[in-house]
Amino acid sequence: MSIFEYNGSALVAMVGKNCFAIASDRRLGVQLQTIATDFQRISKIHDRLFLGLSGLATDAQTLYQRLVFRHKLYQLREERDMKPETFANLVSAILYEKRFGPYFCQPVIAGLGDEDKPFICTMDSIGAKELAKDFVVAGTASESLYGACESMFKQDMEPEDLFETVSQALLSSVDRDCLSGWGGHVYVVTPTEVKERILKGRMD
Amino acid sequence: MVKQQANWSPYDNNGGSCVAIAGADYCVIAADTRMSTGYNILTREYSKICKLADKCVMASSGFQADVKALQKQLAARHLIYQHQHNKQMSCPAMAQLLSNTLYYKRFFPYYSFNVLGGLDNEGKGCVFTYDAVGSYEKVGYSSQGSGSTLITPFLDNQLKSPSPLLLPVQDAVTPLVEAEAIDLVKTVFASASERDIYTGDKIEIVVVNATGIRREYMELRKD
Repeated sequence: MSIFEYNGSALVAMVGKNCFAIASDRRLGVQLQTIATDFQRISKIHDRLFLGLSGLATDAQTLYQRLVFRHKLYQLREERDMKPETFANLVSAILYEKRFGPYFCQPVIAGLGDEDKPFICTMDSIGAKELAKDFVVAGTASESLYGACESMFKQDMEPEDLFETVSQALLSSVDRDCLSGWGGHVYVVTPTEVKERILKGRMD
Repeated sequence: MVKQQANWSPYDNNGGSCVAIAGADYCVIAADTRMSTGYNILTREYSKICKLADKCVMASSGFQADVKALQKQLAARHLIYQHQHNKQMSCPAMAQLLSNTLYYKRFFPYYSFNVLGGLDNEGKGCVFTYDAVGSYEKVGYSSQGSGSTLITPFLDNQLKSPSPLLLPVQDAVTPLVEAEAIDLVKTVFASASERDIYTGDKIEIVVVNATGIRREYMELRKD
């Protein structure tokens, strides 16, 4: 069994009209046993920047701690928040530092950049960035997520519409993956507010 | 000295995806027409769909040489059945025959992932889905092949098939009309061909209903 499939995860981020959504499942497992059903995979870096980390949970936690540390230093020096594009570069650099002994994580970064333009990207475990204009996916359910998102995505969705689409895509995809599920966590971020919602799906 | 491993395999994967959806009085069976090996395309116009009986159609992805052999075997057995019983095989009967034929080669399997679609004895749509060694199940819809992991969750979402474990027993066939089911099939293949490199070129859609069997095609991405 692959090390990326040890804990199980599902992550998706989608772009809407002047907004973005980032969503994850809530299961934390150890191979076939479920340990937690309320695991937080998405963390806030600042009000307009969210980071989701799929893959090995211990590496996700360590990586998150290192990134928060670096961002706080940045805030002290620059007296402002990091732009999403800059943060993505930082994550990529930190992952590549460990090129021959990597963190077993696949990050998904979502944020609002200059002029409230939504920004999403994902990268592999050694920092190869993939910038997308529509959606990005990560985790054990990634193939299912690709199919569901590709079929359901529309350009320029309003925040309410975007929430519905992301939720349906996430729930349908994790229902076909044994290692992810137990509900969902969806953040819909607009320039004015952040709405966090918990989804109830198949609890298995 | 380490045990020598074979570096020749009798199998190859020619890629592709298949989908079937059962309706109240019709059945839609579709497959893409791309045949590949490794990262190369062998042809853009290969049919993965085979008519086994008047009201019974099979789509198969996997190793097309094994698929061809399987289709030949089933056609021969169907001919014998017609000689002995003076009628065509029904779809459920063909479903059982396919399962037995696959299990016959349990220890050197047909590398063939099949979906069988057609009308049952009452004229209702039915879809049977198989693994490579003959385990099968009657379902409301199914997808097999390289794009199946991309297609199935979306079909789950749109067709909302009830669990077979629920009581009272609910019908698995979709309430969609024929035209809506065909549109759904076109949508899923368009999405699958965006993200799966082995799916693309064209879709061949076969519709089985009371009037007979109809075929139509739709272009897909060629990349």
